[in-house]
Amino acid sequence: MSLNTEDQELLEGFLTETTELLEKVGDDLLALEKTPDDVELLNRIFRSVHTVKGAASFLEFELLVKVTHKAEDVLNKLRKGEISVNIQIMDVILEAVDLVRLLVDDIKKENIVERPIEGTITRLEAVLIAQDKEPVANEAPPETPSVPSAKESESPPPAVLPQSVVAAQNNDPRETPSAAPQTSVNIETTDKSTIRIDVKRVDDLMNQVGELVLERNRMSHLNSDCLGRINIDVFADEFGKLVKRISFITSELQMQVLKMRLVPVGNVFRKFPRIVRNLARDLGKQADLKIYGEDTELDRSVVDEIGDPLIHLVRNALDHAIESADERLAVGKPRVGCVTLSASHEGNNIIISIKDDGRGLDPEKIASKALEKGIVTTEQLDAMGPKDIFDLIFLPGFSTKEKVSDLSGRGVGMDVVRTNVRKLNGIIEVKSEMGQGSEIILKLPLTLAIIQSLMVEIEDETYSIPLSAVIETLRVKEEDFSSVGGREVLRLRQSALPLMRLQQRFGISQQENNREFLYIVVVGIAEKRLGLVVTRLLGQQEVAIKTLGNYLANVPGIAGSTILGDGKVALIVDPAKLIDVGEEELFRQAS
Amino acid sequence: MATSASNSIEIKEERIQLVSFKIGNEEHGIDVLKVREIIRMSNITRVPNTPHYIEGVINLRGKVIPIISLRMKFSLPEAENDNRTRIIVMDMDNELMGFVVDSVAEVIRIAISEIQPPPPIVTGGIDQECLAGVIHHAERLLVLLDLEKMFSPDERKTFTDMIQ
Repeated sequence: MSLNTEDQELLEGFLTETTELLEKVGDDLLALEKTPDDVELLNRIFRSVHTVKGAASFLEFELLVKVTHKAEDVLNKLRKGEISVNIQIMDVILEAVDLVRLLVDDIKKENIVERPIEGTITRLEAVLIAQDKEPVANEAPPETPSVPSAKESESPPPAVLPQSVVAAQNNDPRETPSAAPQTSVNIETTDKSTIRIDVKRVDDLMNQVGELVLERNRMSHLNSDCLGRINIDVFADEFGKLVKRISFITSELQMQVLKMRLVPVGNVFRKFPRIVRNLARDLGKQADLKIYGEDTELDRSVVDEIGDPLIHLVRNALDHAIESADERLAVGKPRVGCVTLSASHEGNNIIISIKDDGRGLDPEKIASKALEKGIVTTEQLDAMGPKDIFDLIFLPGFSTKEKVSDLSGRGVGMDVVRTNVRKLNGIIEVKSEMGQGSEIILKLPLTLAIIQSLMVEIEDETYSIPLSAVIETLRVKEEDFSSVGGREVLRLRQSALPLMRLQQRFGISQQENNREFLYIVVVGIAEKRLGLVVTRLLGQQEVAIKTLGNYLANVPGIAGSTILGDGKVALIVDPAKLIDVGEEELFRQAS
Repeated sequence: MATSASNSIEIKEERIQLVSFKIGNEEHGIDVLKVREIIRMSNITRVPNTPHYIEGVINLRGKVIPIISLRMKFSLPEAENDNRTRIIVMDMDNELMGFVVDSVAEVIRIAISEIQPPPPIVTGGIDQECLAGVIHHAERLLVLLDLEKMFSPDERKTFTDMIQ
């Protein structure tokens, strides 16, 4: 099949619309399974599939038309009440939707291949035939005209349809159905290059731009006033006001645009009902998925990264944690297992939790497995607490499941989770109770683009310290410093706080020798604390992080940069790295 | 196609355009196609713990880009920046990078055949590998640089090693 459409724009429009529709259809189908009698829902699914078919036939994507057409037939029968929703029918329809997605993906990649679609079509037809004895060949053509109510006005004329239908039917029986794609594979529908934004946000943005235009007009007005020799005091006054308003609008505008990068986590969560449904069926288990907090917003870049880890975690929950129905009943749990996926905000972090009510992690089993696989030694194990043992599951090459299934157990899953979460500067926490279930909590930064920071001055240079790591700030006299083992420390509430002079660390030339006071920013990562000695505190500011590029990516102690109000660049310090460096030095001194 | 026409095309294709600039007394040239823009000296923020020839970073319309002093890179004595000092912003492997030079002169067109291999003596301070050739052009001696070579993957590795 060749892509003989000259109009690229038309094609792009089709792809965007279709991708959106398919996503909706997927959701709706799952909802339909729960409420099979919802006619409105069924109609909506039908309309969506119909629109896809219409557009596909208009653009002459024959394979797509064949599949959507058959799916439409089945949906139409459902809609008319000639057949009723059951699990087999849903499976076939979902399979068809997957296939359609696959085909659309091919088109998107501009790599149209002849995919075996006959298997799916045969199965769709089987549904048509099985549920009523009418022969398929006669029924399809009259059907197409009988969809007027549902047909949306913008859907292209289905004039091309009859031919392709005939073609489809002629081909079917002779082709081998065995090669059909048993696609329970979840196809990535997230398009990385585009972003969907709430219209309201665009409207807000438009409003603000309007304001800005207004201010610009005022500015040129003021300029002509100035040329007309306005009183200088009046001018200064007016100009001052103007500057204030413009700076206000600009910062609003800036926030607005930054907010546009935020997307609801629901975009990621959306595919999970489907995954859980299919997995549970494949594993012969019964499980419900509960989703909370899908409106929680976080940065797009974070959203893109958490998809894979979540899939692994949910798979693990179903495969390893949730017991079979009999087993569950035997231990007095409800038949149907429950996996809860939730998201919420906590300060500048987002908390994503995957909780199950399955068998929970068995520390002993994990320990013996880790030993067996040679991941840890007996001595190491002896020193470990139960929490440390749970953390072993994140090590590469670890899997406790005896039987490696298709879904999980290859020993890569949790490692992937850890790698991705670490990439996002996130934290993983495992909670588990034997027999009660376990919970895996991912704590991720809300965004990678904006952070709250404490602006400090070190001699004449300005630096930014991420506020998330700042515990407190102190104003001290230099003579209060004491020295322990060659390292400067500050006695602070019964403990010795190690100090690091950023002026020396960053090689900044000293401007003044005897300052009366110095400021200490106490930063902490996990249980470690470090006092960073700075010259002045400038205050708290929300800053947008800019990378220093590949060439300067590894500067120790520097995490990135940001642009200040005056257009100058300020560097963002990396407290975690500084703490590491400090420890290392101490270690070196000691040895 | 007529022979004469193809000949003239060939001659055209052999020409390249160079941006010529000065560092100290030496005049250099770089391929104009690799130059994104040339800007005046701006506020440079020093980045600690980096090799000495990295002057720091600047804000180029919202993008933070590293600035390298060619003087320092070529081990020439330091000089005060004046109003002729320029930053040549170049696109290297899809990453912008600025190079501080004493002054930028002009864009010149030369035939590729004018480029001669660099004599080994010229390479006093300049790293041999980023020397692409020498051009005698209108009584002048131009040293053609390939700055991308300076940051070839290998070089870049040592670059980060150096930082660490």
